[in-house]
Amino acid sequence: MSGGYILQQLVNGLILGSMYALIAIGFTMIYGIIRLINFAHGDVVMIGSFMTLAFLQALGWPFYLVALAVMVGGALVGVAIERSVFRPMRGAPQVTGFIASLALSIMIQNMGILLLTAQPRNFSFPDIFQQVITLGAVSFRMVDLVIMLTAWILMIGLILLVKMTRLGVGMRATAENLEVARLMGININRTIMATFAIGGSLAATAGLMYGGKFGQIDPLLGFVPGLKSFVAAVVGGVGSIAGAICGGYIIGMAEVLFVGFLPPIYSAYRDAFVFGLLILILLFMPNGLFGKKSEDRA
Amino acid sequence: MWRKTCLSIILAVSVLAGQAQAAETIKLGALYNLTGGMSSIDAPALRGAKLKAQLLNEQGGVLGKQLEVIGYDTKTDQKAAATQAKKALSDGVVAGLGYGDTTFVMAAAPAFQAKGVPFVTSGATHPELPKWVGDYMFMAPFGDDDQSYAIADYTYKVLGARQVVVWTDNSMDFTKALSKFFKERFQELGGEIILEDFFMMGDKDFSAQIARLKNTSPKPDAVFISAIPNEAGLTVKQIRESGLDLPIVSGDGFDTELVTSVPGPELANDVYFSTHTYRGDDRPEVLNFIEEYNKAYGRDPENAFCPLGFDAVGLIADALERAGSTDGEALRDALANTKGYQAVTGEITYARPSGVPVKGVSIISVHDGKYNVEKVWYPEY
Repeated sequence: MSGGYILQQLVNGLILGSMYALIAIGFTMIYGIIRLINFAHGDVVMIGSFMTLAFLQALGWPFYLVALAVMVGGALVGVAIERSVFRPMRGAPQVTGFIASLALSIMIQNMGILLLTAQPRNFSFPDIFQQVITLGAVSFRMVDLVIMLTAWILMIGLILLVKMTRLGVGMRATAENLEVARLMGININRTIMATFAIGGSLAATAGLMYGGKFGQIDPLLGFVPGLKSFVAAVVGGVGSIAGAICGGYIIGMAEVLFVGFLPPIYSAYRDAFVFGLLILILLFMPNGLFGKKSEDRA
Repeated sequence: MWRKTCLSIILAVSVLAGQAQAAETIKLGALYNLTGGMSSIDAPALRGAKLKAQLLNEQGGVLGKQLEVIGYDTKTDQKAAATQAKKALSDGVVAGLGYGDTTFVMAAAPAFQAKGVPFVTSGATHPELPKWVGDYMFMAPFGDDDQSYAIADYTYKVLGARQVVVWTDNSMDFTKALSKFFKERFQELGGEIILEDFFMMGDKDFSAQIARLKNTSPKPDAVFISAIPNEAGLTVKQIRESGLDLPIVSGDGFDTELVTSVPGPELANDVYFSTHTYRGDDRPEVLNFIEEYNKAYGRDPENAFCPLGFDAVGLIADALERAGSTDGEALRDALANTKGYQAVTGEITYARPSGVPVKGVSIISVHDGKYNVEKVWYPEY
C-alpha cells in the first residue's frame, strides 16, 4: 500500500464527502428552523438534476443561466411542497411531518417514473468541468473542486443569513417558539415559506452538481443521497449547518476508507457501514457533534 | 339520483363489455416491475410484449382469438410478485411471462408451476431457473453460463488477456452468477484472476475500487465488470477518467446506450460485452421489430429487454398455435418442443435437458462511442 494510494483514497473521501455535505446543508436547515425531518429533500435533489438536464441539454441555455434557473426552480418546488403538504399539518406532532415527508418522497419518485420513465439518462456538463487535474499521485476533476467550493460558500452564506439578516432573526425566533414569534409580529407563514424556498434551492443546486459529477440521472437518484445526508446531519448534530458539513465529510471519508482499506470482499457493504456508524454515534453522542443538548429529535 | 343512474349504466356497460371481451381473448399475464428500482429493465420489456400481441392481433390473433397481454405491476417487491402471480392465475391467464431478473422470477414462477400454467421469463438468465422452478418454467434468453463463457473465451483468445480483475455487483443473483461462470471459464482456459472487488446495485461512486484497481500489481490485462445497466456507464466513465485504459469486459448488463452516452465518445473505448444477438444486427426480424417499436412508441427500443419481452409473447403464441388449445399441459409440451423459432434475439430451440435455450451470443465492442458486433458465439451442447 503506497503513500500515493492512501492519499488518493483520502482525496476520494473528501470529494464524496463534499457531495453529501452539499445535500445535508439544506436538510439540516429545514430541521433547524421547523423541526421537520424532510425525507423528500433527496427527491428535490432529483428534481433539480432533471431541471438542469432540461435547461442545459433540451433548451441549450448557457451554464450560468441554467444554474440560476435551477436555484429559482428549486425554491419554487420547496414553496409548493410547503404550501401543499406541510402547511396543512402545521402544529401536528413532529412524527406526522416525518411520515408525510416519506409519503411525499415515494410519490415524487413514482411520479418521476411515470412522467420520465425509469430509464437512466446521460447528462453532460460543459467540458471545462470534466477536466482532470493531476497533482503527483492524486487526480480529481474540476467538477469535484466546484462541488467542494459550492458547499463551503453555501454554508458560509447560510450561516450569515441566519445570524445577520432580518429574515434570519425571524427564522431563529420561529425555531425557538412559533407562537411567541407570531405574537412578536413575525410573519410565520412567510418565514417558513422562505425556509422551504432556501432548502429547495439548496437541494436543486445539489442536484445540478450531482448530475455533473456522475453523468447519469434517474427518477430514483435522490433516495440514497437523501438518506446519507440525513445520516450526515445527525452525525453533525441535526440543525447545525457547520455540523452538516462536518457530518458529510465524515460519512464520505468513512465510506471510501472502509472500501479502500478493508479486504475487497467487504466493499459491497459500504452503506451498511455508514448506517452502523450512525448507530454508534447516536449511542455515544446522542446530540451529534455540534448539536445542542436540549433539542428534541426524531 | 341522476348520478346514481349514470353510475349504474356505466357499471352495467363495463360489465357487459368485460364479459364480451373475456369470451374472445386469450389472456397472458405479464408480471413486471413497472415502478421501483427494476422498472428501467422491466417497463421496456412489457412494451415489447404488448407490441407483439398487437402485431399478432392485427394478423388475426392466435387460435382465431385476440391475444390480451395483461400487465401486472409488482413494484420491485418480491412479496408483490408472489401475490400478483396468484392474482394473474385467478384472472384465468393461460400463460405467464415476465421479469428481467432471476430473483423476481423465483418469487412469481412457483405459483404458476403449482397451477400447471407455463411461465416464460423474458429476461432472467440464471441457467438453473428451470431446475429450481420446474417443468412449466421456460426461458426466452440464453443462460448466464453461455454469455459468461462467450466473453471469457473472447477475453482470453482474442484480447489476449491472461490476468484479469473481476468486479461483482454483490446484490443480485444475476451478477453473482455471471462472475462465477466467467471465473470458471477463464481459469479453465489458463487465465488468472488477480483481484476480486465488489459493489452494490445503486452505488454511484467507484473511486475507492478504482484506486485499488490502479494499485494492483501485476498490472491486470482487463477488468470484468458484472453489473446491470444502471452501473454500466458509471463504471466505464469513472475508470476511464482515472486514466486507466485497460479493456473493460462484461455481459448483457452492459447492453445499454449508457455505456457510450454517460462517458461520452472520447472515453467510451475498449469496452467488450456479450449479449443477446440483437444490437447492431440486420436480420429482418430485428429491423422489423425496431420499425414497429418506433411506430408504436415513437422511440427506439430502450434496451435488449424490449425484444426479449416481444420474443416471450412470440414463443407463447407459437406454442399455442402448435398445441391447438390453451390447456396448460398441452401448452407446456408445445413450448418444450420449440425448435428453430425465429425470435428477434436469435433462433430459439429447447434442446438441452437443462431447459435453457440454445442461442447465439453476440460479442459487441465499443470504440469511440460506437457499437460493433465482433462475432456471434454459439454454445456447445
